[in-house]
Amino acid sequence: MSGADALQFVASGLQNGAIYALMALGFTLVFASTGIINFAQGEFFMLGGMLVAAGVAAGVPLGACVIGAVAMTAAIGCLVERLALRPARSAGGLALVIITIGCSMLIKSGARHLFGPDERAVPPFTAGQPLRVAGALIDPQALWVIGLAVAAAAALTAVYRFTKVGLAMRACSISHDAARIVGIDTARVVMLAFGLAGALGALAGAAVAPVTQTAYDVGARMGLKGFAAALLGGLGDPVGAIVGGFALGLLESGAVAFVSGTYKDAVALVVLLAVLVLRPQGIVGRHLGEKL
Amino acid sequence: MKARYRQALVALGAAALLAVPLVVSDRYVLKVLTFVGVNSIIVVGLALLFGFAGQVSLGHAAFFGIGAYASAYLAGTLRMPWPASLAGAVAVAALAGWAVAMPSLRLKGHYLAMATLGFNEIMSVVFIEAKAVTGGIDGMGNVPFPSLGALELRTPATLYLLVWGVALLVIAAAANVVRRKPGRAMRALHATEPGAAASGVNVAAVKVQTFALSAALAGLAGALYAHTVGFISPSTFGLDLSILLMASVVLGGRESLAGPLAAMAVFTLLPYAGALVPGVSRVAAETIQDWVPDLVGLTVVVVLIVKSRRGGLTRPSGTTTDAGDVR
Repeated sequence: MSGADALQFVASGLQNGAIYALMALGFTLVFASTGIINFAQGEFFMLGGMLVAAGVAAGVPLGACVIGAVAMTAAIGCLVERLALRPARSAGGLALVIITIGCSMLIKSGARHLFGPDERAVPPFTAGQPLRVAGALIDPQALWVIGLAVAAAAALTAVYRFTKVGLAMRACSISHDAARIVGIDTARVVMLAFGLAGALGALAGAAVAPVTQTAYDVGARMGLKGFAAALLGGLGDPVGAIVGGFALGLLESGAVAFVSGTYKDAVALVVLLAVLVLRPQGIVGRHLGEKL
Repeated sequence: MKARYRQALVALGAAALLAVPLVVSDRYVLKVLTFVGVNSIIVVGLALLFGFAGQVSLGHAAFFGIGAYASAYLAGTLRMPWPASLAGAVAVAALAGWAVAMPSLRLKGHYLAMATLGFNEIMSVVFIEAKAVTGGIDGMGNVPFPSLGALELRTPATLYLLVWGVALLVIAAAANVVRRKPGRAMRALHATEPGAAASGVNVAAVKVQTFALSAALAGLAGALYAHTVGFISPSTFGLDLSILLMASVVLGGRESLAGPLAAMAVFTLLPYAGALVPGVSRVAAETIQDWVPDLVGLTVVVVLIVKSRRGGLTRPSGTTTDAGDVR
């Protein structure tokens, strides 16, 4: 393999990795604040792409479509928490997880009613020829994807580290009861986590739609891949989620480069199963003990 | 007295089901009802696994697919006799269930849900890519009809009887299993694993066996499906079906076979309302078909919320799941 080919694979690995990182962050925020896996995370990704496609088709400027899609999906994320999960607060974790599966069915089916069953295309954010870098072709949209993901991850990390809201989120991830005792409104923190997860998923979906097209049923597979990335980085740790996302993207690219492209989609899933079985706490994660 | 009354009712129901082809001659209606029989076999397996033993699987459509493809390949491509291909398909599906359960022994709750969902998605890729066996995205046609020696079952009525005959046997066997020792072991597992282990239940063995049995039943259903329909393709065995099956068991209730069976029958028949109920207009039938997923999703959410307020589908784990608890 030549240097140019290697660079090409790295570039596509980074682009996919950025998407997985955003998805993994969405899973991680919800998991850290509630301890559940949100099976509707993939649908947030789908909504991002579909809402932008619908907006563009209706003649709304692209930038406004992206911002609108992210905001709307964030609102839907909050609604999922408020309407479906909060009323079942007293249920066990598994019941809550199945509720998120029910929500994902509703969102997916709703998107099919609204936008139809066909694939939708989205124009690239900026027109232009692919850039030639040392013999490899880099699509400008790939730079958008990576740039937006890095910006979102940086902003989120800053919020998590340096703001009062972030402090409340971290407190909730340690113990809801203790957070409540010091006056944190845990219900609002959980809703915020779902809203942010919606925004992150939608941003990922909107950014990558020009590259891959989008359809009402693209959520499930991307959700699985994002979860694999989150797990790879150790669930519940934002930095781990970002690292896990990029690691998974590069792993996938490597598999395509060195093995074959036929089973490309299975790579992430095999990684998912392997990590679940071998190290459920993730490659860099803390050990999750179990209680009786 | 009550038990005998119930037994009589069940026997009557079974007889009624087997008498359907005497009354119904519409090929299409018989085919749809045959689908309900096929799905019953999968749901019984899933009810044992989740409703009784408390182990989640969002991958049962994959085991269903494995059984279907295995039997179609053995009978269609390798020209094996039908009973042998059926047995082979069940064995392959059971083996797959065992292979998924072994490494998943340590996984609980939502991790197991994710792992089985991932397995289903991997199999979806395999069904498309392993063209030599599966025929790829276009599927496999010309799956031979079930035959025993010179006797070939090819009319909708005989296929209906075959599928429902097997389904009723499976339901009867499962009802027996849950009443006896294995059923108690499954329930103990669901209640509390350490407690089950302390009372002498071999937790790992019961988990793996229940998983393999459940997968074998899905494989059996898949084999019957392949030979009754004659054509299979990857889209049938995707996540949507796995989720629908799971929803049936969740809505049907814990430690019940009748509940999940009833829920599944409703979900399976709904899309065909136009053909089954006289007087449903075309538009209404299409609308119903279009909104089935919404109905299923909404029912799952609402039922679980109501159950949680009345004390739970799953064992109450104190407060909300706190991330602090799983550390």
